Amino acid sequence: MSVPAIHIQGLTKSYDTVQALKGVDITIEEGQFFGLLGPNGAGKTTTINILTGLVLREQGITEIFGRDTVKDYRFTRSQVGIAGQELSVDWFFPIEKLLYFQAGYYGIPKRKARPRVEELLHRLGLSDKRKSRLRQLSGGMKRRYQLAKSLVHDPKILILDEPTAGVDVELRHELWHYLREMHQQGKTILLTTHYIEEAEMLCDRVAIINDGKVITEGTPKELTRRLGRAGITVHLAGWRDDLPDLLRNFTYTHEDGRIHFTVRDPEGEMPEIISTLARHGCHILSVETAKSSLEDVFLSLTGKGINEA
Amino acid sequence: MSPIVNWIGLWTLVKREVGRFFAVYRQTILPSLISSALYILIFGFTLQQRISEIGGVPYTLFIIPGLIMMNTLTNASANTSSSMLQMKLLQQLPDILTAPLSSVEISLAYIIGGTVRGLVNGVLVLLLGVILLDMPIQQPVMTLIFIFLVSWAFSSMGLLLGQIADSWDQLAMMQNFFLTPLSFLGGIFYSVKMLPEWAQTLSFVNPIYYMINGIRHTTLGFSDSSPTVSFLMALLLTILFTVLAMILMHSGKKIKQ
Ligand SMILES: Nc1ncnc2c1ncn2[C@@H]1O[C@H](COP(=O)(O)OP(=O)(O)OP(=O)(O)O)[C@@H](O)[C@H]1O
Ligand SMILES: [Mg+2]
Repeated sequence: MSVPAIHIQGLTKSYDTVQALKGVDITIEEGQFFGLLGPNGAGKTTTINILTGLVLREQGITEIFGRDTVKDYRFTRSQVGIAGQELSVDWFFPIEKLLYFQAGYYGIPKRKARPRVEELLHRLGLSDKRKSRLRQLSGGMKRRYQLAKSLVHDPKILILDEPTAGVDVELRHELWHYLREMHQQGKTILLTTHYIEEAEMLCDRVAIINDGKVITEGTPKELTRRLGRAGITVHLAGWRDDLPDLLRNFTYTHEDGRIHFTVRDPEGEMPEIISTLARHGCHILSVETAKSSLEDVFLSLTGKGINEA
Repeated sequence: MSPIVNWIGLWTLVKREVGRFFAVYRQTILPSLISSALYILIFGFTLQQRISEIGGVPYTLFIIPGLIMMNTLTNASANTSSSMLQMKLLQQLPDILTAPLSSVEISLAYIIGGTVRGLVNGVLVLLLGVILLDMPIQQPVMTLIFIFLVSWAFSSMGLLLGQIADSWDQLAMMQNFFLTPLSFLGGIFYSVKMLPEWAQTLSFVNPIYYMINGIRHTTLGFSDSSPTVSFLMALLLTILFTVLAMILMHSGKKIKQ
């Protein structure tokens, strides 16, 4: 297998009193769309910031395309475009000029950067705002500017820290669409998010981080199958005392006639449940299946929802 | 593959730093011209009645080198310190810190930005003296070199302070409790020979005293401190602050967690 785009191993970090990272391991292959999912304070931003050189590394390995991000920072940073969690403010320069500055920091002169800057301004709907200062833009426009900024030097890897935080549904879908396009063009993307749906829609691989550690990793499908709590709810006319014996092979809870079965694979297990009940003359009023989502995975691993404090 | 020096990155950052203060020239260039003109008018023409001349030159002329230095060093240090702090507070620093720029390149760009501002302000006040008072400039090249060195030294000092400071309050405190008093006590408005002995001795530990007397020597041709000592002092401060600012930048202690 070729060298991974991003490789993080045994990464630790302490701030004054908190240990923010307790040994994080993440490997992202080139071309992957990777989601880092976790609640507030899990350590997502800290991980990303160490990778990009914003926070000093304590212990562990951080590599981009096999090269150390501290020793070989000129190479590793040139490979990465970053849209941080915090939006920046600038009073002095129009956004077009800021994009040229950004290209310049990466060693690209204005003349060479022009087509790319034009394309990004156009593609992200900022063309008619090019002369505006950042503070004159709406929140959604700032997010789009930030994405443009991370892309001026056409990096192979895109690192996005909650790129859709605080934007409306419409723009969120637009951004998703754009990110998918970037991914199809071959960019490796690392994205952090609180939105389960975002990870399920976009990512082909997800790691769940909680309290400074990656607690599980896999494709969204794998995770939901392995750890989800999908269910089948069967509504009977009434509870019968022989039911516990009949259903002894299933995991379930019940409330009078409503029986909730916990299963890994609702479609696969439904026929057996129904036929068992029907065979013993139970009168079935209705059947519902509930698909598991990453939210359930989260709940089962951490005991709380991703957006619960 | 990766170049040894990211010249375009460095140049871009210099352009940004210089562009930043030119964009607000009303706050960064005009004030020193106005305040210097006022000093010349008020102090010069009123005190001229009592102190007609020092060292053989009219009092109004005597104070100009000091005004040049004060404006040079205040502007140079203000540029770097405020730019650094502002970038910290406004979340702009990440753009630079995550780019393939070395800490030396980043430091240099900031320092050059502040140096240009110090130089522009110093030279403008110098021209004010030439135009308004027909000020002589005995060693024009040394005068420029001197203004340049002092700009660079205090620009570096500003970069050091800007990294250390966490708030505008702290920066203002540095300015008000150290830089301004030291400038005034460095002999802008008097010759230290006019002071009692103990105060003279105290002046010798004030670095700004050497800056002011250095440029007084290159323009008017006389000074309290020896010109060589003044020059060496400027050089020493330049090297010291440049190295300190770069070391702190490289360590990332105050700008990365
Ligand atoms: N500069 C800092 N100083 C002290 N503690 C910090 C600092 N930055 C982060 N922390 C702490 O480190 C832990 C991890 O924070 P981090 O920002 O990495 O979390 P996160 O997963 O990005 O959270 P969020 O989803 O809220 O952005 C938290 O406990 C946080 O309080
Ligand atoms: Mg975060």
